[in-house]
Amino acid sequence: MKTKNILYKILMIALPLFALGCSDLLDVTPEDVITKDNFYKSEEDFKAATGPLYNKVWFDFNDKFYYGLGDGRSYNLYAPFSDYVYPFSDLSVTGLTGPLVSAWSSLYNVVQQSNNVIIGISGSPVSADKKNQYLAEARFMRGTAYWYLASLWGDVIISTDPNELVKNPIVNKNPTKDVYEFAMRDLEFAAKYLPNQAAQSGRLTKYSAYGMLSRVYLSYSGLSDNPNSGTRDQKYLDLAKKAAEKVINEGPYLLMKDYADLYKVDNNNNTESMFALQWVPRGDYGVNNTQQAYFALNSAITGDDAAWGYWTRASNDVLKEYESKDVRRKATWMGDDDFYPEISKANGGYTVDHEKSFLNVKKGVVGSTKDNAKTSRMNSGLNTYMLRLGEVYLNHAEAILGNNANTTDASALASINALRLRAGLTAKTNLTYTDIIHERRVELCMEGQYWYDLVRRAYYRQQEVINYINGQQRGVIVPILYDTATNTVSVDASKSNSSRAVGTANETTFLLPYPDTEVVQNPLLKEKAVPYIFTEPKITNLF
Amino acid sequence: MTNFLFIKSQRIKQLGFLILMFMFSLGTQAQTTVSGKVSDKDGPIPGVNVSIKGTKTGTVTDMDGAFTLKSVPTNGVLIFSFIGYNKKEIAVNKQSKINVILESEITTLNNVVVVGYGSMKRADLTGAVSSVSSESFKQSVSTTIDQVLQGRAAGVNIQQNSGAPGASSSIRIRGISSLNGSNEPIFVIDGVIIDGGTGSSFTNPLSSINPSDIVSMDVLKDASATAIYGSRAANGVIMITTKHGKKGELSLTFDSYVGWQEIPKNLDLLNLREYAVHKNTLASLGIVTRDTNFIRPDLLGEGTDWQKELFTTAMMQSYNLSASGGTDKTTYSMGIGYLDQDGIAIGSAFKRFNLRGVIDSQVKDYLKMGVNFNLSNAEQKTTVSDDSLILTALKQTPNVAVRNADGTYDGPATSEFVQTNPIGLAMLKDNHNTQVGMRATTYAEIGFTKDLKFKTTYSLDYGFHSDYKFDPSYTFGAIVNEVRTGQRSKSDSKYWNWNNLLTYNKKFGVHSINAMLGEEMQESHWENLYGSRTGYLTNGATDLNAGDATTAKNSNGSGTSALSSYFGRVFYSYDDKYLLTGTIRRDGSSKFYKDNQWGWFPSAAFAWKVSNESFLKDSKTVNNLKLRLGWGMVGNQNVPNNAYTSVYNASATNWGTGLLAANTANQDLQWETTTSSNAGFDLGLFNNRIEFTTDVYYKKTDNLLLQLPLPAYVGTTGQGATSAPWVNIGSLENKGIEFTLNTINVQTKDYTWKSNLVFSKNMSKVLQLNTATGVLNKTLQQGSDITIVTRTAVGQPIGQFYGYQVIGRFEKATDFYYKDAQGNVVPTALPQGMKIAENSVWIGDYIFKDLNKDGVINEKDQTYIGNPAPKFTFGFGNTFSFKGFDLNIFLTGAYGNDVVNYQRRWLENPRESTNLLKSATGYAQLALIDPNGPNDYRNVAIVGGDPYMPRIGASSASSTSNYRYSDRFIEDGSYVRIKNISIGYNLPQNVVSKMKLTNLKVYTNMQNVFTFTKYKGYDPEVGSINQDALLTGIDNGRYPSPLIYTFGLTANF
Repeated sequence: MKTKNILYKILMIALPLFALGCSDLLDVTPEDVITKDNFYKSEEDFKAATGPLYNKVWFDFNDKFYYGLGDGRSYNLYAPFSDYVYPFSDLSVTGLTGPLVSAWSSLYNVVQQSNNVIIGISGSPVSADKKNQYLAEARFMRGTAYWYLASLWGDVIISTDPNELVKNPIVNKNPTKDVYEFAMRDLEFAAKYLPNQAAQSGRLTKYSAYGMLSRVYLSYSGLSDNPNSGTRDQKYLDLAKKAAEKVINEGPYLLMKDYADLYKVDNNNNTESMFALQWVPRGDYGVNNTQQAYFALNSAITGDDAAWGYWTRASNDVLKEYESKDVRRKATWMGDDDFYPEISKANGGYTVDHEKSFLNVKKGVVGSTKDNAKTSRMNSGLNTYMLRLGEVYLNHAEAILGNNANTTDASALASINALRLRAGLTAKTNLTYTDIIHERRVELCMEGQYWYDLVRRAYYRQQEVINYINGQQRGVIVPILYDTATNTVSVDASKSNSSRAVGTANETTFLLPYPDTEVVQNPLLKEKAVPYIFTEPKITNLF
Repeated sequence: MTNFLFIKSQRIKQLGFLILMFMFSLGTQAQTTVSGKVSDKDGPIPGVNVSIKGTKTGTVTDMDGAFTLKSVPTNGVLIFSFIGYNKKEIAVNKQSKINVILESEITTLNNVVVVGYGSMKRADLTGAVSSVSSESFKQSVSTTIDQVLQGRAAGVNIQQNSGAPGASSSIRIRGISSLNGSNEPIFVIDGVIIDGGTGSSFTNPLSSINPSDIVSMDVLKDASATAIYGSRAANGVIMITTKHGKKGELSLTFDSYVGWQEIPKNLDLLNLREYAVHKNTLASLGIVTRDTNFIRPDLLGEGTDWQKELFTTAMMQSYNLSASGGTDKTTYSMGIGYLDQDGIAIGSAFKRFNLRGVIDSQVKDYLKMGVNFNLSNAEQKTTVSDDSLILTALKQTPNVAVRNADGTYDGPATSEFVQTNPIGLAMLKDNHNTQVGMRATTYAEIGFTKDLKFKTTYSLDYGFHSDYKFDPSYTFGAIVNEVRTGQRSKSDSKYWNWNNLLTYNKKFGVHSINAMLGEEMQESHWENLYGSRTGYLTNGATDLNAGDATTAKNSNGSGTSALSSYFGRVFYSYDDKYLLTGTIRRDGSSKFYKDNQWGWFPSAAFAWKVSNESFLKDSKTVNNLKLRLGWGMVGNQNVPNNAYTSVYNASATNWGTGLLAANTANQDLQWETTTSSNAGFDLGLFNNRIEFTTDVYYKKTDNLLLQLPLPAYVGTTGQGATSAPWVNIGSLENKGIEFTLNTINVQTKDYTWKSNLVFSKNMSKVLQLNTATGVLNKTLQQGSDITIVTRTAVGQPIGQFYGYQVIGRFEKATDFYYKDAQGNVVPTALPQGMKIAENSVWIGDYIFKDLNKDGVINEKDQTYIGNPAPKFTFGFGNTFSFKGFDLNIFLTGAYGNDVVNYQRRWLENPRESTNLLKSATGYAQLALIDPNGPNDYRNVAIVGGDPYMPRIGASSASSTSNYRYSDRFIEDGSYVRIKNISIGYNLPQNVVSKMKLTNLKVYTNMQNVFTFTKYKGYDPEVGSINQDALLTGIDNGRYPSPLIYTFGLTANF
């Protein structure tokens, strides 16, 4: 009887347990991530969604390809042992070149995360006005990324929804012209709906979009079926001029007084900065600016082992470009005897001390964590310029010069001379293309621009640019002696030239091959491009 | 080490001796003299130990199997034991003559096999189950249980992923049945499920388990056996039984060994003279700047041999003490163990401390309860693996010294494009982890009637993992690190499982029924906490508190998943001839969207004991024949949490926290299911002196779970990318055959020889892939080189190597042209974008096969260049016993598999400025045919070098082209390895008795004794990278498995 009693008790305890089995156990709510159901509900959410479009999505691009392609491929930079630079500058890129796929995917990350934000905001219940402002921000990013893609690869896949590509990634690429058109429409939308003033320091304004448009219109104006047409489309030259004038005449941006001040951490988001990547001081890997680690000459500058720039140097070709009094040389490249008070402050500043035979990168190099509280290992904390007023001045002058051999247009001269005077140089009274490209190269050197300037020129004067690149003599390394006081390069006769096996420029040089790994996955990349169907009406009332 | 659980090894040694010295003595009352004869079916057995239970008194049978033992208590118990026979205990009961027949141990049919939620007699099994007994553990130096299984269970293919102490293995039961990451089976230890698939290559989730605590391992292979584990059994189930107590006096066992480990083989690298000569060559080609120290290479010495510096002879030691015993009602078993293994590469080590206790008690005649408790504390040092120091050591140049004159570490003269000092890093850097594991089970079993029982079991498995990393400041020549960084991370995992079983056993005449109904709930939770700081003032105190608080970084994450299940099983036997098992299970998983949460997993199996039929019953030859047929379905839910819903990751901005889309959701995600069929038979001949088991199987997996491989333009690679969605992507099949043959070859009075042969053959094929291209590629990254290394495609085996084919070398100018079928002279296909030029394609470069004959070598010319899956694997063990001696020789091997010697792409590339393999200097040497002629390809010839090596690439493009991933780097990975040789000696009983012991065995063991292989790297057994089944057989600087010698002793009290 007693046994039965106990058994009965046990049964009474056990039975309810069976019932417990199913119900709540399988409803698990994640605590370390946010689910879609409760996001994109307010303007605050929009801000949170657009914020990372200023840093993390650009990380891989900023890490290597900003300068590897912009300055490496155009041979501002000579880095014979850095495989993210030399395949590009040696003109030896093939579909197998390792960093190629990373460069390609870094830009598509921007595109697709912008798309995710656009899709998220579009479906939000918030008012259309508010939505447009943030849609404009995301479209600016996407448009900018597509400008890079069009300039580097020409025909690429235009995507507005990654989910569509997830379902079917085997899609045709779209022709270069359509990619440009797509980029322009994004930026035009941005110009229309971005605010006049940034609500938060460092965010985009309407004028950021106009500035970017001045660059893109300028590129597009030369594009035609004939790469040696010698002329640019006047309509787009005019648009470029108007866009630049919007910025110069109406925008809130002003040139910094001192060129070197542009590259100090404390001057992030200064008056000249129109679009800069917003790295997070002491941020985690992914939101940090690693460039200093790749550029810094030695550990004495960074204070840690992340200083791998000894062999990342100015090419002889770019050194010849500097006029003797140009202060921009010292702000861009550091040579023997150059003194930088902002680096190694504890020791009273840093004086470069090595042979006179080479110069390392200065732009992007800010010193150690003792010099700047915002700096840490592999994170300079310095913003990366993607667009600044200085470039818009240059775009302005180039647009005015247009198809003419020279110009004495006062506003064009004013734009160029504003930069020249700041650089400690004399004013110009007459401008040719040579003058403008020289100014572009020097002003924006190591800001990832020069290659795109060459590509832009090659759209209508390809042979000239081929000859120019072959004339850079990338395969011959001439030993030099550099006098930093006078910006003078002289040949070191005591040493002999050495040679490097590099490719020669030809008409294929201006487009990068598609990465092999991508072509394997989508063979359509090698097929003919298919026109993109634009569904949204073009904005016509911008100017 | 502050952890209280760690006792210094010295102290354990002393403890061991204390125990050895400890003696038992028992008083006795009425005594008698007992004599008798011990025999088996064939006749008398000499050398049998006869001892009085509970004492050290004993004797050994003579040549005629006879024995006489004096002073035996009349109420005592005699124990008869002999190797190869089951131990027998006989109560004296005042008898003076006792004749005993011993049964050969190999008659394992009545052994109990652990199956899901229960156990069965081996004779009643209807599914395919392989068992490995604890004997196998004693015959090898196994620090983790997975190593024991290698070659010992048919259908189970095990490869160690790394030879580093405490590293993991790839365990594949009957091939690869899943394409996503891990294909590891689940381990069920005394009823608690341990997930095998959580480790990286360097840490092993099974490393916390002490092999010496284990009694047996039963591998459930076919779905009819595993389906009862439904949702989690897709990759097979390994049931592990640990020691439980036995009724009787306290029995103590002490086992200890010490060992030495060595690297089995060194790679042939350049010494300083050779390196200097080569560097000079590169300098004259303008590839590197000339090193003025190398003007006279002949005056230089050998330089630093970094390989010798990194690899040393390493010690290992192990101590285990276990105790068991009990009364009629309650039994207990306890154990304590300690293992300390240094790695052969400095900067790697593994230590483990284990504690366990089991108590089972029949508290009432209807109620049985028990508790099983395990605690482990493992510590692993992983600097070598985490920092890839083996590769660094291979690449570091011989002109760099290890140390300065003052004993500090030296390094290269510049800091650019050089290797760091691997020895310095291994010694200075702190990179270790500790893993505290707690596993406990309690159960209560109620017998309502004799036949109806209810059992409820609650188990938990908690893991507390801590990582400790500290980068000290150091100066290695020009390489300076001034920033000291400390990192700490803590990861906790908590798993609980509660199951309730109702079982019913009944015999009605010739019908026998065994039914089970169950319900189970389980939940896994993990969380981690990470912090780091820099700005430490010294290299001494490394905790975060000693760093600069303003540099602090931290993060934390967590996840929970749960399963809820209902299941049942019926076993029916008719007249012990026809056996039928049917199971069904229904599982719900939190990993799927609510509409797809539940899955059904049924199975059925049938067996026919032919030997119990009247026509075979009295056969002298066939004493066991059983035919088995089985079918079943199992599932897999191995996807990350939240894969079915869109989630956002926090990402820092200067305006506060931002959010980035983290994934692409797939609400349609559902269970992956594997359906398998099995047919086999068990055969025992000649009184089971020959036992043969064979199975053939066919497995088909549908709705394969996989993270969709997507091109980069979908935005799924790199920082800030969204991760690709998890999808049900297709199906694949595995079919194979396996057999086990156990034989007793010789059995005489003094001498026995037993063999055990295990053979497994598996073939996999992908049936369907719903990716847009129908292929699945896997890439490997080295620096910025990202290469597709394997491809899995429809109609092909899984994870084959995929690359270019080298068909020759441009030897002379005419090789650049050939005559096609029409007799036209056409140019030989050159790599895309390259032309005939010294800095492009030239004499001495490889000719690649133009597969699609389009006249250009590009990605379309890649093809399958090797298969990592062996045609078959085998294990062959031989045990020889001679009087007190026993000798085991165990061989394992694989045949017909390919291995990628991946690092040859760099170490054998003469253009690289690192140190190189000697074979790299066999590059094709070029010279002008007419010395006064132009440097034109028509005037260049190869004048020396290895006939299979290309020239030194004149440009990075030509070097990249020659050293692209091609069949040049695929090698035959077949091998036969003498895995173990162990020799043991049981001291004679009279000697042992004097020491008051029941048994004392001394043994020596050699592991990885020799490997016969053509493979040129360290070791043809390479396993998988990151446990990824699709990255199998790629040797990318794998830590070699050491050659181990041990000496040990086992004492029983």
